[in-house]
Amino acid sequence: MMSAGNPMATDDRIDVLVIGAGAAGAAVAWMLARAGIGVMCLEQGDWVDTRAYPHWGADWELHRTADWSPEPNVRRLPQDYPVNDANSPIAPLMYNAVGGSTIHWSAHFPRFRPSDFRVRSLDGVAEDWPIDYAALEPFFDLNDRMMGVAGITGDPAYPPKSPRQTPPIPLDTLGATMARGFDRLGWHWWPSDSAIITRDYDGRRACINCGPCDMGCPTGAKASTDRTYWPKALGFGARLVTHARVREITLGPDGLADGALYHDREGRLSEQRARAVVLAANGIGTPRLLLNSRSARFPDGLANRSGLVGRNLMFHPYAMVRGEFDEPLGGHRGPLGCSLISQEFYETDLSRGFVRGYSFQVARGLSPIATARGGSVGDRVPWGREHRSAYDARFDRTITVAIIGEDLPEAHNRVDLDPALTDGHGIPAPRVAYRLSENSRRMLAHGVARAQEALVAAGAHAVASNPLLRAGGWHLMGTARMGRDPATSVIDAAGRCHDVPNLYIVDGSALVTSAGVNPTSTIQAVALSIADGMIRRRA
Amino acid sequence: MTLAAQRDLLALVLDALIPASGGFPGAGAVALDHVLAVGAASADVQSLLSRGLLAVEETARADGAPGLAALSANGREHILRRVEASQATFFEALVRHTYDGYYAHPTVIAKLGLDPRPPHPRGHRVETVDLPDLTRVAARGPIYRPA
Repeated sequence: MMSAGNPMATDDRIDVLVIGAGAAGAAVAWMLARAGIGVMCLEQGDWVDTRAYPHWGADWELHRTADWSPEPNVRRLPQDYPVNDANSPIAPLMYNAVGGSTIHWSAHFPRFRPSDFRVRSLDGVAEDWPIDYAALEPFFDLNDRMMGVAGITGDPAYPPKSPRQTPPIPLDTLGATMARGFDRLGWHWWPSDSAIITRDYDGRRACINCGPCDMGCPTGAKASTDRTYWPKALGFGARLVTHARVREITLGPDGLADGALYHDREGRLSEQRARAVVLAANGIGTPRLLLNSRSARFPDGLANRSGLVGRNLMFHPYAMVRGEFDEPLGGHRGPLGCSLISQEFYETDLSRGFVRGYSFQVARGLSPIATARGGSVGDRVPWGREHRSAYDARFDRTITVAIIGEDLPEAHNRVDLDPALTDGHGIPAPRVAYRLSENSRRMLAHGVARAQEALVAAGAHAVASNPLLRAGGWHLMGTARMGRDPATSVIDAAGRCHDVPNLYIVDGSALVTSAGVNPTSTIQAVALSIADGMIRRRA
Repeated sequence: MTLAAQRDLLALVLDALIPASGGFPGAGAVALDHVLAVGAASADVQSLLSRGLLAVEETARADGAPGLAALSANGREHILRRVEASQATFFEALVRHTYDGYYAHPTVIAKLGLDPRPPHPRGHRVETVDLPDLTRVAARGPIYRPA
């Protein structure tokens, strides 16, 4: 590995340098390249070879807690960087590859709702966004077409949506059972929007219901961006450099970003110059990179005059409730993630004891090893003479309801740099400090009680719960948030850093609030709207 | 303890964790190779297993038996409950690896009623279930707050 002081210059300046090839970076690269803008993307991981997925082997499930774990600290692949999460009850999850965390996501694809962009005005908490649902709607629609969404229109929890690209993923016996429970209570539920195509679409094959979406999708039915945006972006001339780990973003004498220093696949330090830089490295990787990019002009980290880079970290705290049923439910077949969603308790009702709200997600049943380990509830099946009967009572006879609560931004929840921990290139690693708020605690407790009620209504004879899922940090948000005021935000409504106007942030870091649903659809819509603005200003 | 003795003891312990029952094999028969492989791949795990198995034998002797093998099934489980309390890290890891090896084994998968094959490329057939009637839900009208 070369020292940081002697970089090799590469190509001349390109128009836009995108850092990170995941959900947001891919969308931006595609949109800019389509408009004829020169784009290069630096990605620290590599393409995932379809044959490398564990799905091809009979021992596939053993990989879930090893080399295909969503936790970088467990997986520890060369392209991963460590995260000090000792001071957080929620472990951050991510994947480093072309496609980023869409490689291992479950592709649950709800949008944020209109009220999610107006939380200060409506509920007196957090901050309003400088953009709203109506402004994002065309980008939601565009993104849906690019990713391919299985679902059904008419959900009363949302403004009317454009037609979904394919019918919803099958509910199977499990989903239908839970839907009946919600029906008996008179609660909202709807087949979930999933970025998993159930019919052939746009050159991709339909889902074959193989199950473990969380370890990738060799079929290509699940919309990881290596299968959706990237082939098209490359077709428009975008360049993608893999095994390229960015060390810092560089500044020109004019105070504008002028490129990045990165370690190439041989570990050599290289420089890529650019007229604009787009950060798409996720809600932990992006603040890490900004904080590692110090200079005399920005001694506390690039674009950090507000002191907010890395602050206001939001996860979605998850609680999990599992019901046991008498009959087989077929839940180990089909896409792992969310088959249906209930947003009965989404909007604020202060009589519940908390502000904002949450969604219920009904996932598939558990595979054989996951059943033995207790799944996301974590209560492993007892060993000894009672093991067989206890296991058989659970396998294929459980439904797990996840409560995904809106996490409000709090400045003390943050990402900074660990003073000792580094990655394989000696770059300081991120450190996460996070406390679950009292509002979140009350919200999850309410959700657990209501989920138990719903499971019993569906026919469960026993329920068990996990009040807070540790391995649940899928969504990394808020650490370089958008806003109008440079004192209370890092980027403006166009995605530009207030302090460095040719430096853009398009990943989950940009989100002002977290809503009570999965964020990828909204992250991508925001990213596309930012890219659209870049194109318009260039025209 | 020789390697062969350690292997025999480990098989006994695994059989106590998941005894043969209802046509299912014991874990000593189908999970042993996996647990040994995990130990062989990690010096830390190997060391943990070796120390844990020594603790099993010592606990059995402290109870007046020459070793775990001399005890009945009930007696073995009793000893392992005590080791679970005193050697929690070892025991938790052992149970986890045992469950992993056991429920990844084709014999066990087949006994569960599943086809012991990779999920890809054949996938699975999902039962056709009529979509429950959404009329009731839709009839509520919008439940989102306009903003």
